[in-house]
Amino acid sequence: MASRFWTQGGDSETEEEESDYEQEDNEVPVEDINKAAKSKYLQGSDTESDDEDGQKRVVKSVKDKRFEEMTATIDQMKNAMKINDWVSLQESFDKINKQLEKVMRVNESDRVPNVYIKALVMLEDFLNQALANKEAKKKMSSSNAKALNSMKQKLKKNNKQYEEMINKYRENPEVEEEEDGDDDDEDGEEEDSEFEEDPSKLGMESDAEEDEDKEAGEDDANETGPGWEKMMSKKDKLMDKQFKDPSQITWDTVNKKFKEIVAARGRKGTGRIELVEQLTFLTRVAKTPAQKLEILFSVVSAQFDVNPSLNTHMPINVWKKCVQNLLTILDILTQYANIVVDDMVEPDENETQKGTDYNGAIRIWGNLVAFLERIDVEFFKSLQVIDPHTREYIERLRDEPTLAVLSQNVQEYLERAGDNKGAAKVALKRVELIYYKPQEVYDAMRKLAEQNEGGEGETDGEPKAVEESRAPPSFVATPEIVPRKPTFPESSRTLMDILVSLIYRSGDERTKARAMLCDIYHHALLDEFSTSRDLLLMSHLQDSIQHMDISTQILFNRAMAQLGLSAVRVGLIAEGHSCLCELYSAGRVKELLAQGVSQSRFHEKTPEQERMERRRQMPYHMHINLELLEAVHLICAMLLEVPNMAANSHDAKRKVISKTFRRLLEVSERQTFTGPPENVRDHVMAATRALRQGDYQKAFDVINSLDIWRLLRNKDSVLEMLRAKIKEEALRTYLFTYSSSYDSLSLDQLAKMFDLSDKQTHSIVSKMMITEELHASWDQPTRCMVFHDVEHTRLQALAFHLTEKLTVLAESNERAQESRIGGGGLENLPLRRRDGHDYAAAAAASGGTARWQDLSFSQGRHGTGGGRTGYNAGGRTYSGQAGGFSRDRTGQSRGVGRTYQTGSAARASQMDGSTRMVSLNRGAYA
Amino acid sequence: MANYDLTPRIAPNLDRHLVFPLLEFLQERQLYPDQDILRAKLELLNQTNMVDYAMDIHRAFYHTEDVPQDMVDRRAEVVARLKALEEGASPLVNFLQNEKAYQELRAEKQYNLQMLNERYQIGPEQIEALYQYAKFQFECGNYSGAADYLYLYRTLCTNSERSLSALWGKLAAEILMQNWDIALDELNRVKEIIDSKSFSSPLNQVQNRIWLMHWSLFIFFNHDNGRTQIIDLFNQDKYLNAIQTSAPHLLRYLATAFVVNKRRRPQFKDFIKVIQQEQYSYEDPITEFLACVYVKYDFDAAQQKMRECEEVILNDPFLGKRAEEGNFASVPLRDEFLENARLFIFETYCRIHQRIDMGVLAEKLNLNYEEAERWIVNLIRTSKLDAKIDSKTGTVLMEPNQPNVYEQLIDHTKALSGRTYKLVSQLLEHAQTQQAAR
Repeated sequence: MASRFWTQGGDSETEEEESDYEQEDNEVPVEDINKAAKSKYLQGSDTESDDEDGQKRVVKSVKDKRFEEMTATIDQMKNAMKINDWVSLQESFDKINKQLEKVMRVNESDRVPNVYIKALVMLEDFLNQALANKEAKKKMSSSNAKALNSMKQKLKKNNKQYEEMINKYRENPEVEEEEDGDDDDEDGEEEDSEFEEDPSKLGMESDAEEDEDKEAGEDDANETGPGWEKMMSKKDKLMDKQFKDPSQITWDTVNKKFKEIVAARGRKGTGRIELVEQLTFLTRVAKTPAQKLEILFSVVSAQFDVNPSLNTHMPINVWKKCVQNLLTILDILTQYANIVVDDMVEPDENETQKGTDYNGAIRIWGNLVAFLERIDVEFFKSLQVIDPHTREYIERLRDEPTLAVLSQNVQEYLERAGDNKGAAKVALKRVELIYYKPQEVYDAMRKLAEQNEGGEGETDGEPKAVEESRAPPSFVATPEIVPRKPTFPESSRTLMDILVSLIYRSGDERTKARAMLCDIYHHALLDEFSTSRDLLLMSHLQDSIQHMDISTQILFNRAMAQLGLSAVRVGLIAEGHSCLCELYSAGRVKELLAQGVSQSRFHEKTPEQERMERRRQMPYHMHINLELLEAVHLICAMLLEVPNMAANSHDAKRKVISKTFRRLLEVSERQTFTGPPENVRDHVMAATRALRQGDYQKAFDVINSLDIWRLLRNKDSVLEMLRAKIKEEALRTYLFTYSSSYDSLSLDQLAKMFDLSDKQTHSIVSKMMITEELHASWDQPTRCMVFHDVEHTRLQALAFHLTEKLTVLAESNERAQESRIGGGGLENLPLRRRDGHDYAAAAAASGGTARWQDLSFSQGRHGTGGGRTGYNAGGRTYSGQAGGFSRDRTGQSRGVGRTYQTGSAARASQMDGSTRMVSLNRGAYA
Repeated sequence: MANYDLTPRIAPNLDRHLVFPLLEFLQERQLYPDQDILRAKLELLNQTNMVDYAMDIHRAFYHTEDVPQDMVDRRAEVVARLKALEEGASPLVNFLQNEKAYQELRAEKQYNLQMLNERYQIGPEQIEALYQYAKFQFECGNYSGAADYLYLYRTLCTNSERSLSALWGKLAAEILMQNWDIALDELNRVKEIIDSKSFSSPLNQVQNRIWLMHWSLFIFFNHDNGRTQIIDLFNQDKYLNAIQTSAPHLLRYLATAFVVNKRRRPQFKDFIKVIQQEQYSYEDPITEFLACVYVKYDFDAAQQKMRECEEVILNDPFLGKRAEEGNFASVPLRDEFLENARLFIFETYCRIHQRIDMGVLAEKLNLNYEEAERWIVNLIRTSKLDAKIDSKTGTVLMEPNQPNVYEQLIDHTKALSGRTYKLVSQLLEHAQTQQAAR
């Protein structure tokens, strides 16, 4: 850059010279100073400014590095030119283009560095020269020639972008360079503001130094002083100057400064972290509690601004500070009951001037609920982002009690202030902190919260002391009034009950719905299946859930999943299945539960959708174990479906209880060779194969060998229950499959075969007889069952088929006619449907479908009437469901809500409201 | 047997005065020590104005002739207040007792009020006084007076809240006077209001329904037609929901009604489901009996439960009502229940058996061999049972009743021709109208 002196030597101003000089050597010395400052700062322990400093320094060095890299590449290019090596030249060219990008990014300017242009010009010249020299070209190796050609094209393309600048440069290389230097100055103004500020800074340095000395009382500050000065942004320094004398500070000055800082917020060039710091400083010098409060509110919102992105979370230390600030706010609010926080009214300019002795209400603008929700969201986001398998995640989880205490305090304050709606919202946040925790985890959290008190006191104490010594003592001292330790009742249930009842009393619709879902989830977690089922049914949430926001829908799905698990834990297989089957019906369980993103082969997601989905993910510690869920679902399906398939072996498509299960079974049957089971699915399939042959022991052993059972608290009793159920279903399957081979069968033998008591066997078989699944009756004196031969002859069976077909024909005729002339046959439609049902029932020659009949009747009407409608009752039912699912797939995640729709449809027919979705499949049994 | 006593669960849903009959019954059955019941009665009476009665009980309780001073004071106070209220209401009472004047009232309330105000100087205060007076009468135990006044009050009352509470009062009074027919009318009236009125919260409405159901127990188990009506009322969706959510113990009464009432089969199936669902929240021998017969098919247990049911019925104030015939007292409901329960067991049992040993059957039915045989023969004769007795081996043989295949086929195809015919005629019709249009 020295060249500049030669061209324009005389008329350059001294100031410019000075700045130029500064710039040239700024790389090294400032770096040094920064380093020194940093080390000093580390001692000083203010992590905030440390961060900032770090950033700045990194920026500089990166920029520097990039620049150097670029120069190095240019040197390489020069070397390559000398030896006429076009291959390496081409590589270097690519490299420099990449580096250019980086440099531009680092510099944040759209101005191309001069060096680059220079290189381009050089390259172009050399290229032209090489092309002109035909002989030399011929002599080149083939690879070299190829490189030359491609280089020619590339350069042509590339240079077009910079044509103007290149031309300029060619006209006057020196001027260009000089101009560039000037530009740099202008561009760099933002980052390099320090240098422009230099004169004023010099003046201030001593002031601040004095200040520092006074405060800290250390004489050796002289040495570190300048370094420290560099650290502070100019505004901070100005502030220090302004407020150096505590006695001179008035409300007005603070207020003025405050307004100034707030006005700067969001403006370009205002460092976010810097802003926070300035405001924090102001809180210390605030004159009245109200003013301090007002400033604190701004601090908190400024802290929220530190992380502008929706996808990333707020830095954890900022988060912690933010929580501390909020607690301080609460302290003030508790101490001065006359201060009212409100976000509805625009308070007076000078409202905060009123001091402690003022008796009336002081209104401050602010919204604690919103702050708390934001804090909660940030916490949630951080857990989403942090890798759950690291220590960091656990560390982060430890902050949960902090959040709990904050929300507890906010809630208490709001209750005191009579803001029940807000209190309900905050209570919901607390509910959401604990609803997924089983008692053990809850206990652990409680313990942690108690321990924290001791530990935190120590770690907190130190920085505080340092802070005190560095900063002037705040004018408005705020003692810690609100408890810093959360109080948890013994059992999580008690806490839930308290919070939830508060929410039910005064929450708004969404809050209530969410609280209800959390409540349901929690009840289910504690194995209180019936309570949570009743809650769900009474709340009618399954009807309205599809109109709610997605996060609530996810919560609903989670609650349903948990409900299903709890149903199985207490031994209600059918209920468990009906809770879970729809989660699995579309194969998107991960998405429905927001526990990971599932890739779909069939439709690509846009990045936007993907980002949205990521934002919805549940943090890892809240996950419901998917393997367990799948195992439970499949086992339920197996227990229901295997006997069902055996019962309808001649007509497999008639009644399908679990489509998912059927599909899996088909896949596994198609395999020519079945290896030992590896995953959950394989296990269940192996168990199914055993069960179909009536081998209950093997089926149970396979299920038992799954290692997910250790996740259950009452593992033994659940397995025992499963064993009993498997035996039962094995017996049923056996009877369905082999009853035709027997004329009579003794009860004792059956009981022995399936290791059941006589009574149980009798009860099961009787049930099958009553429901006419089994055509047999007891011969009481001999304790035998006698099978009746009611199998139709071939002719009869064919006749039934014929009538069936006829009915279908008639129906399709009618439909065709209906669509043709419209509505003509509508009035006899229900009647006809009933016919169809009777028919289906009788065709199966079993009154066992009787319950199914009325059930599917109501469902049938909800069915969309696929092609097979009218064929039989069962078919219609499921075509209806399938309609539901396909609709499901069209909406992105909206479909979530449709889960359990069918259940409620059947329910609606049965009773007006709180009935029995879960009893749905019971019909098959009763 | 006290563990199946529902009084503690029922009492909170009744009016104070309605609890007395229950306590009387308990005293009679000797389920609890006399002292306990007397104390309970005394506590009940403390809140009412039936001071004389309270004094009596106090004497019985403490075995003394003395009555504490505060009771005496309270008596004086009550009498004074009664006087005062009587005076306040007297103009209206006089008017209403005047046959001729009463004729002048019309169906229109507004008109009546205006008329009263103009001609008899009877304003809202007097009407309000009438209500208070009636209420006081009720609290003193003068139910007939209370009922009359409340009836009159209702003809003049414009406030719907008040009207409803007057109606409740009237209902209670009628129940206590055992005028079952009138009480039933009142009950239906209250029910209508509850169902049509919009309550501040659904919870409130449910609570009202539960009260109504509890009160109605008095009526239904005393009224001739009550057993059908209890099913009609309790088995309505809304009421069944209320039972399931807040008062599952009422299932006992509904279950009993179902057992003794044979004509309610369709609802019965649904009811079994309800019982099954509510097993976790409420169980007593009667519901368990039904579960045994219809869910578990465990006939031994059913029989066991049947015996327990007998006890439960005898000890239930509503179910165990006695009918005195001469000097022979019986509990009609018990006999009916047992008979029907037996039939339930037998019916189900027969459905799944081909051959039954008479001895076992007799045991299952809680009868001896001879009785069982007679019972079965009766059933066969009245063609309720399609079976034969093989007296040599001592067994009952069931006739198989498989539906005929050909009948089934005919059934299925029967409708087809009609439908096709209709289809064709519709098509023709359509074609004709189209032609006509052209």
